[in-house]
Amino acid sequence: MPRIDSATGVVVTLTTAVALAPTAAFAVDYMSADEAAKLMFPQADRFEVRTLTLDAAQLQQLQAAGVAPRSARWQVRVAQRDGTTLGYVVVDDVIGKFELISYAVGIGSDGAIRQVEVLSYRESHGHEIRLPAWRKQFVGKDASAPLRVGDDIANISGATLSCSHVTEGVRRIVAVIDLARHLGTLT
Amino acid sequence: MSDLHHVAHAVRRARPLLGTLVEVGVCDARHDDAGRACEAAFDAIAEVQRCLSRFDPASDIARFNALAAGASIDVRGDTACVLSAARQLFDDSDGVFDVSLGRGAGWVLRAQRLHKLQRDTHIDLGGIGKGHAVDRAVQALLRAGCAAGWVNAGGDLRSFGHASVAIHLRDEQRGGVVAFGRLRARAFATSCFDIDARSQLWHTRPERRPRAHVSVAAPSCLMADALTKVVAASGDPQHALLARHQAQAWLH
Repeated sequence: MPRIDSATGVVVTLTTAVALAPTAAFAVDYMSADEAAKLMFPQADRFEVRTLTLDAAQLQQLQAAGVAPRSARWQVRVAQRDGTTLGYVVVDDVIGKFELISYAVGIGSDGAIRQVEVLSYRESHGHEIRLPAWRKQFVGKDASAPLRVGDDIANISGATLSCSHVTEGVRRIVAVIDLARHLGTLT
Repeated sequence: MSDLHHVAHAVRRARPLLGTLVEVGVCDARHDDAGRACEAAFDAIAEVQRCLSRFDPASDIARFNALAAGASIDVRGDTACVLSAARQLFDDSDGVFDVSLGRGAGWVLRAQRLHKLQRDTHIDLGGIGKGHAVDRAVQALLRAGCAAGWVNAGGDLRSFGHASVAIHLRDEQRGGVVAFGRLRARAFATSCFDIDARSQLWHTRPERRPRAHVSVAAPSCLMADALTKVVAASGDPQHALLARHQAQAWLH
């Protein structure tokens, strides 16, 4: 095992030859959707789960606004206090080249983004990540049952992971909530 | 209690920032305190992003890039800090490290006043800006009373205290990750230099650019990130600047 000591006495230890085959996957769970909702709206005394269904005209409206709607059905947690709506939390996931990222977006009742939190991160081979069976194994996991495939801790260093999928997803969710607010379907 | 135990029981948060996924980990803090410390770390990163992002028209860098020759602007502390380091690296590397893509003579920083000397000078602090943001986030965690933890901004990573953090390298071609080593009280950055990669070396012709990953461990994340460029451009993992900054490099 090569061991490289720096001038400062700090150690970087090479445990494995880099040329070895990649590990199959690893995953980190940061928090559950409910935990994210509470973190974003700590004043809320209730989160009402609503399903928002967009019709064809509404989907077209989003498309015309430059947002690919992707889905007609959206689950929205409506944060309330004493019956007043404080805002909305929407959970979504996006697939990158090698990663699946679940995230939650908190939007205030004024339509402004309050917070974006990553709920979980899965990294795997590109061919696996697109298989429904592979993705299904993560459904229903939450922070109380952390799933860590392979190593218990992992920090990826590499060519910078682009978060453009998440950015697009956040934009889509903001547009969907904006539409719903104007239609009055969430009140 | 082992180091691994500390890290496995850490509070971890992740947010999309700096165009990538930023993870903050705090070891051994009570849950509420750890949450507040993570918030402070994310705030620090967001502040650096507001100063340095080319894509934010209100940032110091976007305002500089829009300046006419001969004009100048006041910049914030983070911007001045990163630009000072960039200038020093430019001088020390004989111009190999250049945040203005080959136009290092086109700007000058005097105190916190940034002057544009040449019309088509543009600054991009993407890489070392990310490293600086990680350093700032670590400082925020220390100020919040955290004894150990780490910050990882999509490959620019720093651990502090007794946290011993596993490093995995992504396989860019096939996907999946490879275990590389462990990092303790140190920063680590990997850049991929490839024809299609986001990191490009300004002064080498496309056909001569190395196709490699370069990793550097250094005391600060700004320096680790900057030195990946110096090593990639020189092709020398023993470059003299590494020893001067107590850094080590790997080509892989």
